[in-house]
Amino acid sequence: MTGGKVVIYVILNMLMIFLLFTAFFAVFTKNLLNSIITLAIFSAILIVIFVILQAPDAALAEAVIGAGLTLAFFVITINKTKDWQNE
Amino acid sequence: MSRVHKIFRKFYKIGLVLFLAIFLLFIFDEIQNLDIKRYLSEHYISEGVQETGAINLVTSVLYDYRGFDTLGEATVILTAAATLSFMAPIKKVKMLGTEFTIIIYQTIIIIIPFLVVLGMNLIFFGHISPGGGFVGGVILAMIPILVTITYGITFSENKLKANHKSLLEGIGAIGFILLGLLGIFAGSNFLASGQANFGLGNPGELISAGLIPYLNLMIGIKVGAGLATIFNSLIKEG
Repeated sequence: MTGGKVVIYVILNMLMIFLLFTAFFAVFTKNLLNSIITLAIFSAILIVIFVILQAPDAALAEAVIGAGLTLAFFVITINKTKDWQNE
Repeated sequence: MSRVHKIFRKFYKIGLVLFLAIFLLFIFDEIQNLDIKRYLSEHYISEGVQETGAINLVTSVLYDYRGFDTLGEATVILTAAATLSFMAPIKKVKMLGTEFTIIIYQTIIIIIPFLVVLGMNLIFFGHISPGGGFVGGVILAMIPILVTITYGITFSENKLKANHKSLLEGIGAIGFILLGLLGIFAGSNFLASGQANFGLGNPGELISAGLIPYLNLMIGIKVGAGLATIFNSLIKEG
């Protein structure tokens, strides 16, 4: 392995570990807004992983849908609903 | 006794998860080492550019080899948008109780032309570079969504009438099916562009690859209008 390949390999594995952390945080946090923002970060990390794995098509779709559209829809949904447990 | 029972139940759950994880690990290891002949993917990779004329092999699979699946996906969005706009209340509900600073309002105005250019680029160059109708359509749908979030639903509905968006979506959906029927009139199958000899042109040029650019355009219009309709219907709800 050359130097560049090793660097990419290390970055890929670090990103995957961060992916795991963000996924666990998004599932187990109590605040829904925090969960949504973490999901957007999850998508952002996934975009970089897709680009490293040479799948620009999937990266574009993930960027537009995962990080952009889903965030907007979820924020609107949370704005429309009430937290009935803390009332 | 109950304490032992509780501990046992806790370990039982953890053990189940561990067992499943190890099981999946072995299965994925086996799948990786399987020695299958991948005739279909090899055919796509080696013959795809000559048969469809599209350099982007993902687009050639999506809009030529598996065009019927794309029609199914488009139908899902059409159904969702139609149902939501049918169920949306007519009265205007008060918007999010947020007042933005002037920076947001001015930045949105500057961003919108770039979004138009980016979405159109992704749609029209879908068969040459990464992108395609779906992604470009979502980026075009971002424009009404941004306008709705910043300026409010009333302004957005004034600028882009809901009827016009429905009309655009209908044009996209019907145009996709009519372009598919062209394949039958040319003496081939439904949604055939490469097989029906629609002048594939030189691979890599803008006007090439038969019907694929036009199918991309139709899907882009449809997805953009459909997602904008869905968002505006959801924001009126409540």
